[in-house]
Amino acid sequence: MMKQMSCLALISSIAIVASSASAQTVDTARIEAGGQNDWLTYHGSYKSYHYSPLSQINASNVSNLSVAWIHIPGRSTRGLQSMPLVADGVLYYTGSYSRVFALNGATGEVIWSYFPELDEALIARQTHSPYNRGVAIGDGKVYVGTMDGRLIALEMKTGKVAWDTKLVDSQKLTVGFTGAPLYAKGTVVIGAQGGEWPGRGPIFGVDAATGKKKWEFLTVAGTDEATKTWGNDSWRTGGGGGWMPGTYDSETSTVWWGTANPAPLYDWSGNDYKTQGARPGDNLYTSSVIGLDVDSGKLKFHHQELPHDAWDFDSAVGEFVMLDKDGQKLVVHPNKSGYIFVYDRSANVKNVWRITENSNFVKSIDPKTGELIGRRDFSAGKVDEPLCPHISGGVSFNAGSYNPKTGLYYKLGQEWCMTLDVVKTTPVTAPQAQLNIGANFKIAPPPGGEIYGHLDARDPVSGAKKWEVRFPEPPLASVLSTAGNLVFVPDSRGVVHAYDAENGTELWSHSDGTGHQGGIISYSAGGKQYVAVTAGFGGMASDDYAPTFGGVYKSMPRDDGALIVYSLK
Amino acid sequence: MGSEAYTALPMDLDGSKRDERDSDVMKLNLKILVLLSVVSTWVMGVPGVMAQSATAPDSAPLDVEQLFASTCGWCHSDGGRVAGKGPQLMDSARSDDFLRDRIKTGKSGAMPAFGSVYSDAQIDEIIKYIRSLKPHQG
Repeated sequence: MMKQMSCLALISSIAIVASSASAQTVDTARIEAGGQNDWLTYHGSYKSYHYSPLSQINASNVSNLSVAWIHIPGRSTRGLQSMPLVADGVLYYTGSYSRVFALNGATGEVIWSYFPELDEALIARQTHSPYNRGVAIGDGKVYVGTMDGRLIALEMKTGKVAWDTKLVDSQKLTVGFTGAPLYAKGTVVIGAQGGEWPGRGPIFGVDAATGKKKWEFLTVAGTDEATKTWGNDSWRTGGGGGWMPGTYDSETSTVWWGTANPAPLYDWSGNDYKTQGARPGDNLYTSSVIGLDVDSGKLKFHHQELPHDAWDFDSAVGEFVMLDKDGQKLVVHPNKSGYIFVYDRSANVKNVWRITENSNFVKSIDPKTGELIGRRDFSAGKVDEPLCPHISGGVSFNAGSYNPKTGLYYKLGQEWCMTLDVVKTTPVTAPQAQLNIGANFKIAPPPGGEIYGHLDARDPVSGAKKWEVRFPEPPLASVLSTAGNLVFVPDSRGVVHAYDAENGTELWSHSDGTGHQGGIISYSAGGKQYVAVTAGFGGMASDDYAPTFGGVYKSMPRDDGALIVYSLK
Repeated sequence: MGSEAYTALPMDLDGSKRDERDSDVMKLNLKILVLLSVVSTWVMGVPGVMAQSATAPDSAPLDVEQLFASTCGWCHSDGGRVAGKGPQLMDSARSDDFLRDRIKTGKSGAMPAFGSVYSDAQIDEIIKYIRSLKPHQG
């Protein structure tokens, strides 16, 4: 008994030391552990569960949830798409134009703010801009990317600039950073935009202490092996990029990242894509999952989810759910096509399942090998049968949530298609004309039905479905689940829903007054649990909503937004 | 060189040397590209590459149909025939001056500014294309 008590005393004294020390330091071990009260990296922790172990707000009292405070960042061009982070009761988040705020998590009081001076003339020329998807924290700093190609570090306590490093020649390439960085082991990792632009879609590793660039990985033809997969030197047309943050496997010091599609998005090669068309070959390392050594940036492994991606269903979704299940260490990664890939920790395929009903870009994907079966490679001209899913994806870039208590993975799927007329275009190798699509297209309903979205509760490995909730328009925001047996879904109309995590029964809802397309998290400050969600619509997927759905979307602003924070009454 | 075998570019002490080397290669590639584009224009008798060149001279004809399939069509669906993220352009009630100004200066959060990319003459060609848009046959 005495032994037990002294043991307890030791544990509690360690806990006190840890909590007072942690007010100073967010490091790799702390992000790995995730913590009870914090949200320390874009995906919550390196496990990427988008799950909070807090249960003060739970299925039995969620009906008492109401707004605690609101913060308006201003100048929310194309809405708010940021994932807030929280450390030691302070909430950090970004608005459009990489505006950064540090707020008291209990009251919303502004502790500091930072508005970078940006190249506004450049931003006026950009298409996928000026939204920002969040910050990384670590080593006493807050890190944010900018649309004019910089990565900036701010002192966590004061918001003062610690360093400001130019990584991409955005004036030349027209692209920069919209995605949040990832902090791991003294390195800040950030991926550039790519996909539609001529460029080689670099991912950077930067020294967190000094801001000095440590390494750069080119997602387009980044190795000799990869260069051979771009016939006729088509790597010059480029694409790739890694515009959403991935995660970190601390056991092997490996950064996991997803890469975007090659350009042009749509090829006219027909079935002979290995030798014909705009970019003959597999086009490595586009539409791939890659593992990079965090210290050197060296490629350790990769799996190309879509060899020669001819549909713009890239792998840039940064969600890598790190499972430790039945003695197996697995990684679950959703592909934009709506297929969910399950890997071991070296990106060997363990299973593939699909979340969408409507899908015809391939007949199937082999669950044992990941091989695409019955792929549709178009020739120039009108495509007869509409392509499913739509270019906005079978899943959004936003994240689902894995709840270790229920063992279920909560993920949104989108049912929509597109008509397509593939056009043989001149290769765009000089960056200036913004995009490189290679087709005319328009949104279309699935065959014999209407467009809709659905929240699925599934086994993350087998894909077996336990329940589903449908939405008349696809929700685009991230999902949150908690130990309070709750799943939160911020929808496109502007309503936040809370469901029973076991059976999908709706327990609570509240209107935020405008559509959602960003992050949602839960944290604790001063002993009280909060749920924070970004509201504010506009951008590449949501801009289709007014002409497609009408209704509330016709008057929904695309230049407004707010951070809304809930707690129990 | 072993370091060429994979992609991580060491950015420390020898970084500047590498950069110089790369830029020499780039210059050479650029020369080849210019030569190729002249040759291909001459051989094929079409002004293909010119349409996308970074330094498009004012007089260069623009293949606007291709431009819609590569850039404009992302928002102006079906080659500008129906509304998408951006408005329908076919049968637009807007004046030529309005269209010219919108293409040049863009609209914050909605449309990029193309004034530094296309000359007045090229923008006139874009407007001409918009005015000629007809529904697809059948």
